[in-house]
Amino acid sequence: MTTPAARPSVSPGVSYRDPRAALAWLEKAFGFETTMVVEGPDGSIAHSEMRVGDGLIMVGSEWDAQHKSPASMGGINTQSIHVQLDEGIDAHCERARAAGAVITREPVDQFYGDRSYTAVDPEGHIWSFGETVKAMSHEEMTKAGGLAVRDRL
Amino acid sequence: MANDPEPVLTPAIFYRDPKAALPWLEAAFGLETSMLITDDDGKFAHGELSWRGAAISVGGELASEALLGPAEMKSPASIGGVGTQFIRLTVEGDIDAHCAHARAAGARITQAPKNEFYGARTYRALDLEGHVWTFTKDIEDVSIAEMEKASGLKIESRENHP
Repeated sequence: MTTPAARPSVSPGVSYRDPRAALAWLEKAFGFETTMVVEGPDGSIAHSEMRVGDGLIMVGSEWDAQHKSPASMGGINTQSIHVQLDEGIDAHCERARAAGAVITREPVDQFYGDRSYTAVDPEGHIWSFGETVKAMSHEEMTKAGGLAVRDRL
Repeated sequence: MANDPEPVLTPAIFYRDPKAALPWLEAAFGLETSMLITDDDGKFAHGELSWRGAAISVGGELASEALLGPAEMKSPASIGGVGTQFIRLTVEGDIDAHCAHARAAGARITQAPKNEFYGARTYRALDLEGHVWTFTKDIEDVSIAEMEKASGLKIESRENHP
């Protein structure tokens, strides 16, 4: 047997004070789908997984002193997640805003050919969303952005 | 050149010294730098690593009211080793050898490779700035019922298991 959508080679795990509330919010605001919930004997969430396209996000608790929500760290994030959408980024942003996301950067066309926005969720995690509106080569990006874009170190 | 199709999800990891992080992550974990963006002064702006067809962004620390509102991007090295996310990578070959290689390159192994009740062998490592990396390799198929019995946990899954 294999799982229908194979485990992706890279998956981020996100810590929340209240992972159960986070699952519901991420479904409503961003349209992610909860595919697995693992509960301990006391009903607390031990592990959970959400799918967005072929991507997988693990949602968990602050399970030890090394894993904390930004809500417990004064808004600090040590990682964030970028989600690439096929279409409809402006509508996606409005849906997120309506669900209570703080839009810190409104949808805007970037020099590298994407339209993107940035949102902060109720516990302070930073999420960015992008949609490719113009496919560009690294050379074109370098020209448009005034930055050197290289494939290698 | 045409760019590869973009993956749906790309985690971004923040470092005090992202330029030093890229070669360290290549040497220790076998990631490959696929993109490096620098400004006119040669200063690091953005990096991307690839791992088995997936991408990971590497960035510096940032506090910008205009871009992030009340949120801030910092390395675990700046906040006492705490992380707000971790990252899980699947390993194709020998996971024990992957761990030994990482250890030899200076990764701090916080959990040595061990077989988990859900049919995977995993290990956990801290990188040079304290980010948590979990490496995992599936070793056997385990049914949900077997996982529940072995762990005492209740598992609800919408994905197919035997």
